[in-house]
Amino acid sequence: MHLDPVPIVSNVRRAQIVAALKALVPDGVVEDRAGLRAFDGDALSAYRQAPLVCVLPRTKEQVAAVLAFASEEGVPIVPRGAGTSLSGGALPRGDGILLGLGRMNRILGLDIENRSVTVEPGVTNLAITRAVEGHGFYYAPDPSSQIACTIGGNIAENSGGLHCLKYGLTTNNLLAVTLVTMDGDVVELARDDGGYDLLGVVAGSEGLLGVVVEAKVRILRKAPATRTLMAAFQSIPAAGQCVADIIAAGIVPAAMEFMDRRCIEAVEAYCAPGYPRGAEGVLVIDADGVQSEVDDAMARIASIARACGAAVREATDEAERARLWAGRKAAFPAMGRLAPDMLCMDGTIPRRRLPEVLARMGGMADECGLGFCNVFHAGDGNLHPLIIFDAMKEGELERAETFGADILRLCVEVGGVLTGEHGVGVEKRDLMGEMFSDADLAQQQRLKCAFDASGLLNPGKVFPTLSACVEQGHMHVKGGRVPYPHLPRF
Amino acid sequence: MRAASEAEVVDIVRGAREHRRTLEILGGGTRRSFGRPTACDDTLDLSGLTGIVTYEPEELILTVKPGTPLDEIEALLAAKNQRLGFEPQDWRALLGSTGTPTIGGAICANADGPAAMRFGRARDHLLGFRAVNGFGEAYKAGGRVVKNVTGFDLPKLMCGAMGTLGPLTELTFRVFPKGPFKIFAAALSPDVLNKVAASPLEATALLHADGRAYVRLEGALAEKTAMLMRFGDFVEADALPGAVLPQPAAPEPPARARLTRAVKAAFDPLGLFNPGRLFEGL
Repeated sequence: MHLDPVPIVSNVRRAQIVAALKALVPDGVVEDRAGLRAFDGDALSAYRQAPLVCVLPRTKEQVAAVLAFASEEGVPIVPRGAGTSLSGGALPRGDGILLGLGRMNRILGLDIENRSVTVEPGVTNLAITRAVEGHGFYYAPDPSSQIACTIGGNIAENSGGLHCLKYGLTTNNLLAVTLVTMDGDVVELARDDGGYDLLGVVAGSEGLLGVVVEAKVRILRKAPATRTLMAAFQSIPAAGQCVADIIAAGIVPAAMEFMDRRCIEAVEAYCAPGYPRGAEGVLVIDADGVQSEVDDAMARIASIARACGAAVREATDEAERARLWAGRKAAFPAMGRLAPDMLCMDGTIPRRRLPEVLARMGGMADECGLGFCNVFHAGDGNLHPLIIFDAMKEGELERAETFGADILRLCVEVGGVLTGEHGVGVEKRDLMGEMFSDADLAQQQRLKCAFDASGLLNPGKVFPTLSACVEQGHMHVKGGRVPYPHLPRF
Repeated sequence: MRAASEAEVVDIVRGAREHRRTLEILGGGTRRSFGRPTACDDTLDLSGLTGIVTYEPEELILTVKPGTPLDEIEALLAAKNQRLGFEPQDWRALLGSTGTPTIGGAICANADGPAAMRFGRARDHLLGFRAVNGFGEAYKAGGRVVKNVTGFDLPKLMCGAMGTLGPLTELTFRVFPKGPFKIFAAALSPDVLNKVAASPLEATALLHADGRAYVRLEGALAEKTAMLMRFGDFVEADALPGAVLPQPAAPEPPARARLTRAVKAAFDPLGLFNPGRLFEGL
């Protein structure tokens, strides 16, 4: 993929920026080369770029001061949580400040009675559940990186997880945020606060609209009963039919995960969860709720799966449940050990197109000669093709990226989308034109301009080319300076 | 002016733009007296933009034109034991209006019902849309799948915007299965609704009216009914209390109002659409 050239910043200018940041956040500036290396990228590991300087604020006032300073000085800002983005959402800029929010990691309040938790952005996803599980509650969105990823990053990316079909994405579980805009304004946004749903558009905005410095999320009562079954299929169309029939029967499983033959082989070799070798695909399905509801759903799911020709095994105890899920949860490491590098793709398709999409993907993989497998959030049509390669071998990274891009084009072609939960970031920004027309993208960019007319907040992400806001009908003048002074104006 | 297609909406908006004439965007007109009034040069009537574009029950996805009557959508979904999870409401009785409530109007006014507390408000169900902006351009946003984070989530902004961001020309929703349900009522005691909400009952309505608490339960009714009785002396009721109007948007603090104005300008820089309908001067 093409990355923007690194703009050059003079040593004098850098020293001025560092000094100013030290005045704003005295104990939180990282400027030495070794220290900055820790912040030089995220989980899209093929791309590395050290930031100009990194600042680690502890308070929202410090965040606001840093953004106001960057805005005045025209310095780009890249916000970062735990750096687990798979799309390069937190990839730093060589000419910009990396704003690390990991030190803002306090849980500010539990309101069990009203089922909400208020946290700072650096609190990890799992820490929210840990804070409330003693009361019988949990935080529903559960991206696989939940032990490390932060709620601030989850909001920026609108993270999903295994349980989205029933319990929604981050945006559906977010009640309020305090947002700092690029100008340094502090704005409170909440659900149902009247006016435009600005909270809704901040969720999933990939750090382009503002920096979340406080968030209030909804917690849910843990379901009294959960049961799990595995269904193994001899053909992909049979598995696809089973998924369609379960949905058509009005059942909303808590989770419904599909793995193809290549994935089954990889995880069996890795941790032996007991999926039948030789099967073309397995579904692992959870039903949760009150006991009689779960029993009823499980009986119906098993009967639908058998009618589709599946061999069905239901977990009889917690240990077996854990084993059935261990395979799914080990899919990434199991594939990861087969080659030095891995790309995890993330398209969504209409569920009924699964057999066709998997068949065509198999053809593409044969053509490009790289290993891959498919795991699929079957309930909501979210595909995660895992492509394995060796970046040290001439041309393999490019082949893997081309294969990945072809997969995403295929997702769009069958009526799906480029990304279901990982975000566009730098990884997919050049593919946005596959899904959106120029008019569609122009409207999104106008929204960006409404929040950040300077274009300094996380530039280079999401949009293939971020046109200057002045071209979108905005002219932002701050402190007497017009943005993009190099642009001729007429 | 009445539009029967997106192309006609584009033409009307371009004309309005050229002649700097403001447009009152109307569907069935049943919610016209809700919120702030608008005084416009012309009307843009979308009630002719009707019809189901696609309905895929196994995908839980529905795409419709904005002027489609709510009744028609409900009947279509009910035939497959499905529904819109935000339970859009007919406000004619509340507002003393006549006409046909449309899906576009329900989205613009955020006219959702009791199930929204369980499944989320309109904004949690609108997955994608097509619309025409104040530049006279047709565009789309979001997608036609349940799980999508590609680009900004513009569908959220359209819900409750009272048409001030422009006329919608197509709407895509996720839908939910619908099963048997029962409604219960009990004398309202402190915290009873909160306790039910915090229980595993997953109630699809929690309301109070006239000193009584109302709960609607769905799925596993025998077990859930028994659990509900632990919270109070509930007895079966025939119906939930009628819809209530949401509070119109209160004036915003300055920093927030600046963002609101900038967002409005991003969609409608000349202020053509429903001026004043959401906030004074917007």
